[in-house]
Amino acid sequence: MSQAELTLPDYRDLAPEVKARFEKIRSRPVILSVRDLEKSFGPATDRHCVFSNISLDIHRREFITVIGASGCGKSTLIRIVAGLDDCTDGVILLDGHGISGPGPDRGMVFQGYTLFPWLTVKRNVMFGLEMRGRSHAACEREARQWLDIVGLSKFEDAYPHELSGGMKQRVAIARALANEPRILIMDEPFAALDAQTRCQMQAYLLQIWKKVDVTILFITHDLDEAAYLSDRILVMGANPGRIMEFIDNPVPRPRSPRQFISPEYLALKNRLEELIHPITTNDEEDKVPVMKMTEAGDEVE
Amino acid sequence: MLSQRPAATRDWLGLKKELPPRRRLLLTILSFVIPITIWAVVSYVPFIWHPLVMITDAGDVDYFTAGEVFPYSDFLEQNKEMKAQGMHPAQGYRVNPVYLPPPHKVAMAFYLAFKTPPRLPNEPWLHESLGHSISTIFWGFFLSSILGVPIGILCGTYRFFSRLQEPFIEFFRYLPAPAFGALCVAILGIDDGPKIAIIFIGTFFQQVLVIGNTVRKVDPALIEAAQTLGAGGFKLLRRVIIPASICDIYTDMRILLGWAWTYLIVAEVVGTMSGITYFINQQARYRNFDNVYAAIAMIGVIGFFSDLFLAWLGTVLFPWKRRERSRSKKSKVPAAGKLWPAAVEPSVTDALGHDKSEIQPNVAS
Repeated sequence: MSQAELTLPDYRDLAPEVKARFEKIRSRPVILSVRDLEKSFGPATDRHCVFSNISLDIHRREFITVIGASGCGKSTLIRIVAGLDDCTDGVILLDGHGISGPGPDRGMVFQGYTLFPWLTVKRNVMFGLEMRGRSHAACEREARQWLDIVGLSKFEDAYPHELSGGMKQRVAIARALANEPRILIMDEPFAALDAQTRCQMQAYLLQIWKKVDVTILFITHDLDEAAYLSDRILVMGANPGRIMEFIDNPVPRPRSPRQFISPEYLALKNRLEELIHPITTNDEEDKVPVMKMTEAGDEVE
Repeated sequence: MLSQRPAATRDWLGLKKELPPRRRLLLTILSFVIPITIWAVVSYVPFIWHPLVMITDAGDVDYFTAGEVFPYSDFLEQNKEMKAQGMHPAQGYRVNPVYLPPPHKVAMAFYLAFKTPPRLPNEPWLHESLGHSISTIFWGFFLSSILGVPIGILCGTYRFFSRLQEPFIEFFRYLPAPAFGALCVAILGIDDGPKIAIIFIGTFFQQVLVIGNTVRKVDPALIEAAQTLGAGGFKLLRRVIIPASICDIYTDMRILLGWAWTYLIVAEVVGTMSGITYFINQQARYRNFDNVYAAIAMIGVIGFFSDLFLAWLGTVLFPWKRRERSRSKKSKVPAAGKLWPAAVEPSVTDALGHDKSEIQPNVAS
């Protein structure tokens, strides 16, 4: 590959303005603190460890992306943070308080949209507010504002099935944010969308994040997505699940797709590739033993 | 590609696509016309079946009497004998057995049923019989539902109630409801009590299990989403689990109402026979089979139209299930679709002639 011949900067070298930004972030209070988190299951004799020794601190208004090979437990990790699963050991502190079960302080956006099909778009956004016992008028007013932010005011009376995937996910984001959560957890929210919609949604999300005081914990398996959105990238490894590296993203903000060919971006991407797809001794492709449906002279490369 | 026929002709049978409305209506009508035609053919075309002969003139045959029916084979045999002996053969025309009246007679009976007074002064009119049946069904099903639906929802939601209730109910539902007939009469007397009880026994246990299963099928992701939005406990049940399953529960209830009708006929012979079953039995005893068919058809008509009504009511109660309708009718709500419709969908007009490309929202802006 020609990329190897390029001389890329070290991904750990931060430009002065990026460095300053990280210092500013680190001076903010810690919102989410995870200490020695462990999840395992099975009987004591045949214990399977999903992950162990997970510790991390996330500061207010940080944008964290989590990547990792499948089976590294990244989904389990955020489900535990969201309170949907239990951990077997360790502590999670949100604003310094322990958590028990799911709660409105940790908003969640799922890959499968999970909008309530029996409620209109507006009522979906109002749901969390109503759960907190707010008056109908107040809920409605807030919901309208949030729909405005995600650009779906025109669709407030539509039912979810009338919307496209990207629009559904925007409603889901509005619904989660309307609750004013301390942290917004997103579990591969754009994985089901087509490439173009995904790009749009990423740009949308960055805009929303700029306007709203919210910390985001974002899971993805798309390295570009992780690099494009994040302040820091939590790279997890599998067998057993563990933190491989917590990378400070060297790409300056504001982000734009044009940065995809900037040296910092490529250096970061290169590092992520190394971590996620470590180069093994030989190319796997050469080991495929069967030749089928091809003739001599058909070689593709 | 040599020939590209339009999809409509390739999928004439509707393997993948819904049929056009006109053909749908035609087929619905045809589904009724076909069995009625078969019935009419068997009734009116003499050589198809008609195993009997109605004697108009007994001739010289000893045991034939004018105005009575005899097997066609006997008729032929006797006449052959008469001819051989040079005697006067019998006259008659072929008929079907009395238990297969032709369509027009049943139609007349259907029409006249409500006008014909009962034979005996203390017998109910047909509409009274039907009313009695409907009220029996109503009370049986109502009592069963008022208990069964909440218990079913609890069983479907909480494993605690499921474990506590369902094993026994699973056992009990195998006990045939009619088996409780004698017991019900002993406890509840001979009037409507035992009948309602049998319909209750027949539907209640099924209802709990069926509704429990339906509620269990609620997408757990929806429950999790609601939990992360702060819903819990009773609110979760009321605001998420019930609305998420209510539409399917409604469909279950429609099916179970059909079951209730089945149990009705059994229930009505318990104690003093009543309702439509009494009417049918009386008419069969008088050998008015056209009335019997009319009464059976009446049950079918009531069941069919009440189900149609309930289906319609469902679309009113659950607007989020009206997929196609809201998309094409409600122009107020901008119909959504894919983000890049032009690239993905080359056909831009739908069945109603609306230009789809016009109503696509411009999401990119």
